[in-house]
Amino acid sequence: MEEKKKTPFLQLILDDFMLLLFLGVTIYAVFYLIWGLIELAWLSPIPSELKQSLIGGK
Amino acid sequence: MALLPPEEGWYFKKVAKDEKMWITLALVVCLILFFWMVVWHIYGKQNPSFTTYRTTPQEFNALATAFMEKYKTGEMNGIPVVEPPPNSDVFLVAKMWRWEPVLVLKKGQEYRFHISSLDLLHGFSLQPVNMNFMVYPGYDYVLTFKPTSAGEFAIVCNEFCGIGHHMMIGKIIVKE
Amino acid sequence: MFRTCDITGLKVDLNAEKLIKLNAVMAVVSLLIGVIGALLLVLTRWQVVHLLPVDWYYRVLTLHGLNALIFWIVFFEIAGLYFGSTIVLNSRMSSSKFGWLAFILMVLGFLLVNFTILTGKADVLMTSYAPLQAHPLYYLGVILFAVGALIGVFLFFANLLIARKERTYGDSLPLFTFGLVAAAIIATLTLATGAIIYIPTLLWSLGIIKSIDAGVYKLVWWGLGHSSQQINVTAMIAVWYLGAFLAVGGTSINEKVSRFAFVFYVIGINVASAHHLLVDPGPSPAWKVFNTSYIMYIAVLASMIHAFAVPSAVESAQRRRGFTKGLFDWLKNAPWGNPAFSAVLLSIIIFGFIGGVTGVVNGMEQTNIIVHNTLSIPGHFKGTVVGGTTLAFMGATYYLIPLVFRKRISFFGLAKLQPWVFGIGIAILAVSMYILGAFGVPRRHYDITFSGGPFTYTFNPATDFFWVLFAIGGIMAVIGALMWILIVVVSVFFGAPLRGPQDMQLQIASPPPPAKEEHGFEAPGTLTLTLLFMGVFLIFLLLNWGWLAAMWEVR
Repeated sequence: MEEKKKTPFLQLILDDFMLLLFLGVTIYAVFYLIWGLIELAWLSPIPSELKQSLIGGK
Repeated sequence: MALLPPEEGWYFKKVAKDEKMWITLALVVCLILFFWMVVWHIYGKQNPSFTTYRTTPQEFNALATAFMEKYKTGEMNGIPVVEPPPNSDVFLVAKMWRWEPVLVLKKGQEYRFHISSLDLLHGFSLQPVNMNFMVYPGYDYVLTFKPTSAGEFAIVCNEFCGIGHHMMIGKIIVKE
Repeated sequence: MFRTCDITGLKVDLNAEKLIKLNAVMAVVSLLIGVIGALLLVLTRWQVVHLLPVDWYYRVLTLHGLNALIFWIVFFEIAGLYFGSTIVLNSRMSSSKFGWLAFILMVLGFLLVNFTILTGKADVLMTSYAPLQAHPLYYLGVILFAVGALIGVFLFFANLLIARKERTYGDSLPLFTFGLVAAAIIATLTLATGAIIYIPTLLWSLGIIKSIDAGVYKLVWWGLGHSSQQINVTAMIAVWYLGAFLAVGGTSINEKVSRFAFVFYVIGINVASAHHLLVDPGPSPAWKVFNTSYIMYIAVLASMIHAFAVPSAVESAQRRRGFTKGLFDWLKNAPWGNPAFSAVLLSIIIFGFIGGVTGVVNGMEQTNIIVHNTLSIPGHFKGTVVGGTTLAFMGATYYLIPLVFRKRISFFGLAKLQPWVFGIGIAILAVSMYILGAFGVPRRHYDITFSGGPFTYTFNPATDFFWVLFAIGGIMAVIGALMWILIVVVSVFFGAPLRGPQDMQLQIASPPPPAKEEHGFEAPGTLTLTLLFMGVFLIFLLLNWGWLAAMWEVR
């Protein structure tokens, strides 16, 4: 009797190029774009004590 | 074959001993490279800074002007020369096409640089030490420098900023 | 609809073939513009000549960047994607109409971009960093080109879906096409990012949006800018496997390993765009280190895997043919007279030893302080995308001419020399640029004597020697590129027609005899070479960290 080897899970991932497309786009979007943009959005202004020391009165 | 589909059972073919050796070595090196960067942030003395503030060209210009007035000691070719005390906040302005002010610092002392641009992107390139950072409008990049060598240093602009880009060169003087 | 190739036996969809030819022709036109620009730039940066005036320097720099780095390569890659998803799979083009649409959009974009640059309306360099602003037609041109290319990428996936459904290739794609899949996935996110950044920028240039934040622009732009280079790396490696297969019948000694390496690219390589922002204000060191490394090193690992897998494909095939003496008999007896083979091998060496070694060090967060915006940066990428990708594509074309254009290669003697002239020229150019950058010489800079500035600075006098080397390497590379363009244009348009297998000047190797029992070490020669590479890399790495440690302290 011939036994057909079950295709391993990882090989299925390798062969599924639409899944790879999804993974590639999502990982990049989350870690590079979204995380990076959030960091830029969360920057705070120059601390007021520093501003005071220079132009808030000598 | 690269052009023909792979042979039957390709997934189960054992990896050759030499290929395995190489991949293991490469993996170890790659992991070391990652941890090296992290460790250098703890023990190393040269790291890009953690600190950036939001600002505007108007605000930054006002702060820098006040700073220059406070510590000005003279002028060089029309550019204010400023000698701030160690451990203080130092403001460096980049604009088309010059760096202001000329800074006079002391070797071995720390200075908290605030670097920003009043117009376009510029590049802070300290020569001949060859340390390079970016300068943005709207962002105050806070870099704490400690000069470890004395002498005269140039600040070359190395980010294209228009037709006068090559004329943009500043100066830092470090006293012993 | 189809013809059957009398040399490879493959079924050739005539629509696909026509589109491949059209895109290939546009690729060569773009390269010619890029190369002429390169010559003008070399003779300007070498200030002994200082050929161009200041405004034309930045204009030609923009022109060179767009044509050499984007148009030449993307047109060629679209041709390759069509080839890999139809002919290689014995399958058909999903839609010829969309293929034409893609082509027309790309050509329109190419024309608009070049026109706006040449008329001085886009002196912004390839990166066009806001607040620098170009004419709206420039941005429109880029968008049209990107949309056209994206359609081409979608056609590639559609072709694959059809081939899969019609079962023209079995369960697993051929490795060459699989590599192209990885490239196409990266291309998808690249071009999508392009839309995200260029559409608002276009609106800003029209006055509809008031301003663009400089930090946001640069972050998003590099999602397009560097990812596009990762497409080139992946496509180059696919071409390496192709070259090894055609020239010596070599194939990856372990398909699973090579395929996983391509998957690692898909997962990890795109976040490495962060290495353009390592010394920028804004993102935290955590974001910088994570993106430039943790995931990126999955991709570096992948490159190192391919660095072994490709030469070992050649070595394994050669050893099975009987070239088993010593460590390098297989290499000595490789078909060096085949310009496709020599181009691919030179591409591997240059990409690895020059591009790869410098790239990893440049991309580490702290050592980036040494190199950012110096001439070392273009020195690095001459090693990767010019000495690597472009040279490999040039090599692949030597098979494209007879197999797709059905012409004999004219000036065949010259063709055998061409990869060497170009490769050695680029190697000299890249290394001298890198060293000049190490001395602090800036990139994208018109005059390093700073005439007109309030102060002056003189770079280390040793740079004079490296500028001469720079000029020699640059001119040699230009000659090598022009040789290639001449051979290709004459062959395609005026060359003798190829009547059949008897007219093939390049061998398509028959598969070597199967391997005898495995005793563990399949490619000792390759292992030696990769260990040598690792040694060079580690030395270069340590040198740079040593230089960094000697600099001023900063945090």
